[in-house]
Amino acid sequence: MSETMPIEEYLQQGGVLTSPANAPPRYRGELLRLMASFVDSELAGAAGFADTINDAPGIKERIAAARIVLEKTDHAGRVLDVMGTFGADVERYAVHHAWDARLSRGADIGAARQGGDMRLSVFHYPLEGWVDAVVLNVLMGMATAIQLRESTRVSYQPLAEVFRDILPREAHHTALGVEALQRIVESEDTRRTALESIGYWRPRVAASFGLAGSARYEMLARLGLRHTPNEALLAEWQTALVEQLAALNLN
Amino acid sequence: MARFHSLQVTEIRRDTRDAVVVTLTPQDTDHDLFDFTQGQYLTFRRSFDGEELRRSYSICSGRHEGVLRVGIKRVDGGCFSTWANEALRVGDTLEAMPPMGAFFTPIEPDAAKNYLAFAGGSGITPILSIIKTTLASEPRSHFTLVYANRQIGSIMFREELDDLKNIYLGRLAILHVLESESQDIDLFAGRVDAEKCAALFKHWIDIEAANTAFICGPEPMMLAVAATLRGHGMRDEQIKFELFASSQPGRARLKVESIAAAERGTACEATVTLDGATRIFNMPKQGQTLLEAALENRMDAPFACRAGVCSTCRAKVLEGETEMEVNHALEDYEVRQGYVLTCQCYPLSDRIVVSYDQ
Repeated sequence: MSETMPIEEYLQQGGVLTSPANAPPRYRGELLRLMASFVDSELAGAAGFADTINDAPGIKERIAAARIVLEKTDHAGRVLDVMGTFGADVERYAVHHAWDARLSRGADIGAARQGGDMRLSVFHYPLEGWVDAVVLNVLMGMATAIQLRESTRVSYQPLAEVFRDILPREAHHTALGVEALQRIVESEDTRRTALESIGYWRPRVAASFGLAGSARYEMLARLGLRHTPNEALLAEWQTALVEQLAALNLN
Repeated sequence: MARFHSLQVTEIRRDTRDAVVVTLTPQDTDHDLFDFTQGQYLTFRRSFDGEELRRSYSICSGRHEGVLRVGIKRVDGGCFSTWANEALRVGDTLEAMPPMGAFFTPIEPDAAKNYLAFAGGSGITPILSIIKTTLASEPRSHFTLVYANRQIGSIMFREELDDLKNIYLGRLAILHVLESESQDIDLFAGRVDAEKCAALFKHWIDIEAANTAFICGPEPMMLAVAATLRGHGMRDEQIKFELFASSQPGRARLKVESIAAAERGTACEATVTLDGATRIFNMPKQGQTLLEAALENRMDAPFACRAGVCSTCRAKVLEGETEMEVNHALEDYEVRQGYVLTCQCYPLSDRIVVSYDQ
């Protein structure tokens, strides 16, 4: 059984790689980039949410916020460990950016990365209080569920397995957010604040799905690192969001 | 970062004409480090003609056996595997990193599971470790192995597998598929491709009852088996892959001699290859990294942290001299081979040739 095939062809046909030694150079680069984007987003998301613990209106909410901070940081650590098998310095990586740094609320950066920080652009905007944080958590949580489900199919098996473990816990973070939103809409005042926040975050979360017709997508698809185009994932999120907001009387 | 440790070769057994089974003993202080999980591999390093080569080989012993043993099949032109098959002796020392890899599922002593395994050639090595460990530690579980080889003489661990069938009577089924030998039943001759899988699953293997499938072999076989398993309703998380080392370059390459340094110009002509395309541009020797220059020249170079810690932007300097400001991600041996982190890399010579493709 010495018959083999070029690794590029194997990947294009849906093959799976299992160790750093299997990865050709371009694959290695794109895989590390994909992992860095996830790690940076989780660390930046957790850092931003950490302040929210003090804005939480009750003990249950404080626990939920603290749990989200803890678990998102843990998820970053698990993916960072996979990066470590490719040579990344895990300890230094975890502290090489100020993860709590934010731009101004009015900054307009579209979907662009900032410098060497690979966090999704939505995590560069600051949160404004409890209601605003809960709204972002729900909107981005629903997006993360769709983006992570796509990631569970990546052709690098050790990473796909980590994402499969993470997915249900991330989904739970969104469920905690929906619970909090249910309490928020009980008062007309806070319901109105939530509507304003939805107006602010909706286009910014949408931008995190990336551009339609992306050339990068084609390359990533050939490597088995992506399977569904940005625009299809975005459309799925938009449909799910309309339903969720209607259920919460927030449409 | 994982470190290398010395292992002493305490036994070498010739298994087939082209394969040896090597038993290794860690130093007294390292026993815990080499406490492996079934299905894991060891990465060895050795210097050939002054260049360090690293190769990974799967552990073939079971967890309960208390020994560390790897199978090494000779690959045509393969430097390390040829050396291990021809020159390695009992008493020699090998350098290896602690066991790595996630080609296993957790053992549950009370479970009664049905496992499938598909091995091609030396892909049997980690699967043997999994089979032995599982049958010994999960007394109510069953294993079915489909094992593809070119001919009878090239079947690794043939006797050991026969013995296992006898020890675990009724709990281990083995189907040998031989590529170039005729068999009594046609089904067991030829290659393990999609058609063969479909036929096997129709008559011999009950996929619906299977909890987990392990696949290790050459790429086309892995694709065919995985596609057929999925077609029969198996989910991705039930299928465990281990791609064996066929994609690793076999021969040690001679290092490109670097041009004498100490050149005085302030600019450098950089020749950069990425995805098979080469571009030549000028860049200053100071104030701009190689990565920045490549991006400015509209090359889609990979990068992430830009701080020298993640290694996404790694490339190889083939000619000329460069220096890195910071390096927290490349090991010494990679640096010796010419690898650089382009986000930290500045040219020293008037001309450099760099490739992101190696």
